[in-house]
This record gives sequence, C-alpha cells and structure tokens, in this order.
Amino acid sequence: MFCYQCGRRLSKHDFCTSCRADVGLYKKVMYVSEMYYNEGLEKACVRDLTGAIVSLRHSLKFNKNNIMARNLLGLVYFEMGETVTALREWVTSKNLSPEKNIADEYIDKVQSNSARLDSINQTIKKYNRALALCSQDSRDLAVIQLKKVLSLNPRYVSAHQLLALLYMEREEWERAERELRKCLEIDRGNVQTIRYLKEVEQMLAPDEGIKPSSRHRKDDSVRYQSENEVIIQPLNVREPKRGGISTLLNIGIGLVVGLAAMYFLVVPAAESRARNEEQQTILKISNESDVKTARIQELEGQIETLKGDIESLYGEIEGYVGVDGTLQTTEILLQVAAAYVETGDDQTAAAGLADIAGRVNIEEMTEGFRRLYQSVNGVVMPKLAQSYFQEGSRLFNASSYSEAVGPLEQAVAYDEANEEALYMLAQSYRILGENEKAIAAYDKVIALFPDSWRADNSKSYRDRLAGAN
Amino acid sequence: MINFEEELKKFHPSLEVEDAVDAIYSQDLTDMADILVKKIMGTEEGNIQKGVKE
Repeated sequence: MFCYQCGRRLSKHDFCTSCRADVGLYKKVMYVSEMYYNEGLEKACVRDLTGAIVSLRHSLKFNKNNIMARNLLGLVYFEMGETVTALREWVTSKNLSPEKNIADEYIDKVQSNSARLDSINQTIKKYNRALALCSQDSRDLAVIQLKKVLSLNPRYVSAHQLLALLYMEREEWERAERELRKCLEIDRGNVQTIRYLKEVEQMLAPDEGIKPSSRHRKDDSVRYQSENEVIIQPLNVREPKRGGISTLLNIGIGLVVGLAAMYFLVVPAAESRARNEEQQTILKISNESDVKTARIQELEGQIETLKGDIESLYGEIEGYVGVDGTLQTTEILLQVAAAYVETGDDQTAAAGLADIAGRVNIEEMTEGFRRLYQSVNGVVMPKLAQSYFQEGSRLFNASSYSEAVGPLEQAVAYDEANEEALYMLAQSYRILGENEKAIAAYDKVIALFPDSWRADNSKSYRDRLAGAN
Repeated sequence: MINFEEELKKFHPSLEVEDAVDAIYSQDLTDMADILVKKIMGTEEGNIQKGVKE
C-alpha cells in the first residue's frame, strides 16, 4: 500500500513516515477493498458468481486500482458468458496497470482467435435480438434464437434465464426447470435463478405447498402438473426381481430391437451417404472426362491442320525435287552452262536454254537461277543470232531465198533488233510468194524501225502486196 | 406468482463488441479512495488558508 500524497510505501502507522500525511482513513478504505475482494474470491470459488460480482464491484468502488479484483471480475463475467463485459474489465485493468498484468494474457486469448471472437459477438447479438423479440411478443422466435445462442455458448447465464422465463410463460415447467438447473450449475448464487426455480418447483409439485425441497424427499410418490395433466410419479419403487430367463429374454429382445433400428435407420443412412459419395465421384469423373474429350477434339483438330501443312510442304518439296522441279531445272541450267564453257557450242547451249524456258517460268525462279540463266542467255543468243544472220544473208545474196528463210527466221527469233535480217526475211517471203508472211514481216520493220530507209521500202512493198491481195 | 412482463424488464441487452470501446470510455472509475483523498486535500488547503488569514 502506498501513500496517496508522496507515493511511498506505507508503514503500520496511521501517518506517512515520509510526508507525514494522515493515511489512517485511506488505509481503512484500502482494507475494505481487500476484504470485499477476498469475499468475492470465496464466492467465486464456490460458484456463487452473482455474489462474487457484487463483492468485487464493492471492492472496486473502494479502490479502483485493485487489479486482482478487476481481473477476477472479468473472469466471472467471462464464465457467465458476458464476454464483452469481461473484456471491458480486463482492458480497464490493463490501462490502470500496464506492467505484469495477467489481464494482458486474458485479452490475448480472447482476441487471438478472430473466428471465436466473431462467434461470441454473434451469440451476443442473437441474445439481444431474442430479448427484443420477447418485447415484441414474438416469443416463439425468441425461443428459437435463444436455443441457437445456447448451442453456441452453453455458459450464457442470461440466455438460460430468459429461455427458462419463456418456458415458464408457456407453462413448459420441465423445460424451464432444466434450463434453471443449468444456470445453477454455472452460478449457484443467482437469486433470480433460485426464485424462478422455486416457482417452477411449486408448479411441478402443486400439492407440496411452498416446500420446493419436498419434491426430493423420500415419499411414496411425486405429483406434478404438466400443462393440463397431473402426473404422479412413484418414488422408491423398485422393479421386482425376475428370473434369469426373463433377463436373458429382455436382453435378446433389446438386441433384436437394436439390430432392427440399425437395419432400418443406420444402414439406409450409410447407403445413402455411400450413394451420394459415388454420385459425387461419378460427377467428378464425368467432368474430367468432358474436359479430356474437349482436349482430344482440340488436339485432333490440330493434327488435321498439321497434316494439311505437311501435305502442302510435301507438294512444295516435290515441286523442288521432281522431274520438272526447280532443283532438276537448276541442275539442267548448270549442265548447259558447264557444257557451253567447255565446248563453246552456241546451238547446244541455246537448245538447252530453250528447254529450260519451256519447263519453268524464269521470273518465278530464285535470283541466282535468274542471273545465271540471263548471263548464259546474254552470251549465247547474240552470237547465235549473228551466226544465223550471216548464213541467211549469204543465201539471200546468192538468191537462194527458200534456203535463206530458215536461218533468217532464227536470226530474227534470237535478235529481234536485227533490222537487216528482218527486212531480208520479208523480201524472201515476198519473192517466194508468201505474201501474208511478207506483209507481217514488213509491218514489223515499219513498227520497229520507222525512220529507216528499209521502213520506207517496206511500206511501198507492203502496200503493193496488200493491193494485190 | 412470477409476472412475465415485469421479469422481462429485468433483462438488459448484453454488451456487443462494437459497443466495447464506448463502454470502456464511459465507465465511471471514481472510487472511495479518490473521494477521500480529495476531501483530505480540500480540508488541508482550507486549514492553510485559514492560517494565512489569521
């Protein structure tokens, strides 16, 4: 105990040895607080929780800093299901004495489990709702709510009491008694519970007057009223002893009844549960199967697409590798070029180039192929054209027009810009009497070389032939 | 005979978690020791003032 003025520890004297303040009365107040705490503790130990609350509250009225009294008060409230009230006391205790306070542990235990705290809060809310329903005359609903509350928190004394009161209102005395007895198991000194129980016992044993304990005395019978019926229950009546055969018979009947109950109640339930589990399994497998089927279909679609791609690629490869394929044509071109380099034979090379031009479209080939083809063609063709022109020109000058036509046609075919060869060809056709071919050749001379003297001559010959036709 | 309506009035709503903070703050913590100390201090101050006047 410390001095209220200087804070020093007090001695046995009625004054403070440090500041000389008069602490006689103050010490008495502190002692009274301790006395009430001890009383509260004793009551709590014998489960007189209501009495303990009264004593501990008195203790705190004398000394609010009596931490042990406050913590015990919290515990008592917690035991009676008033968790939030208990928390209030512990939090206050923690604020008054932050160091080495067991209230800290109590608060942690309650608050560490958030699900449990939420459940407690729900219980309290349900209880408050039930209380409101009672005031609104919805007592059936209130009974349902209170049953839920007690299923969640069986130590909730107020809920037991309220439920008992509702049962009493409905004259369900046995149920009311059951609830009140549960109350007494938690809190033996609750005057309200005892008063209700006395009323209930009077109603259960109306003939016994005001002696509630008479119901338990060793009498011949107990009478009590349940709703509109008076029930007489004999006491101290023992079943007459029977022989061993009847006992065995009873055991046998009991076993048969038990097995029948098992067969009709437990087995169908187990079968139903097993069926449900099987259905769940089948459903699960079915779902997995659906997923796999969908996956298989998707993969089959991918396989079809890939097959199409493979066939397309095979076609392309065939195009490159086949008899008339690109690779084959490239090989021919290489052979033509090699043969020309080795032999210098223009005609063979020209025939090879013509063969290649017949096989493939040169413009669609690779760049290397096109360049090689055009290089060989650019070397071979002018020389060949010149060769044919010289042959045709010689024959034309020798007046062998029919023989000259062939070489001149080749010369023009290989070199369209050879004006002289084209003109000689036109003259040869005219002399040989092939007027249509001559006119066509003259038209080419006129079209390709319009400013030359051969074009002027071609015009006059063409007009003459056209007039003759 | 117990009167249901009268008994019902004796039941009060329990404190909910949401109300806990208000309940803690609104708690009257004045105790007998506080009143006594205040009284003693007041008496001593009165005596001092009387002594000064005299």
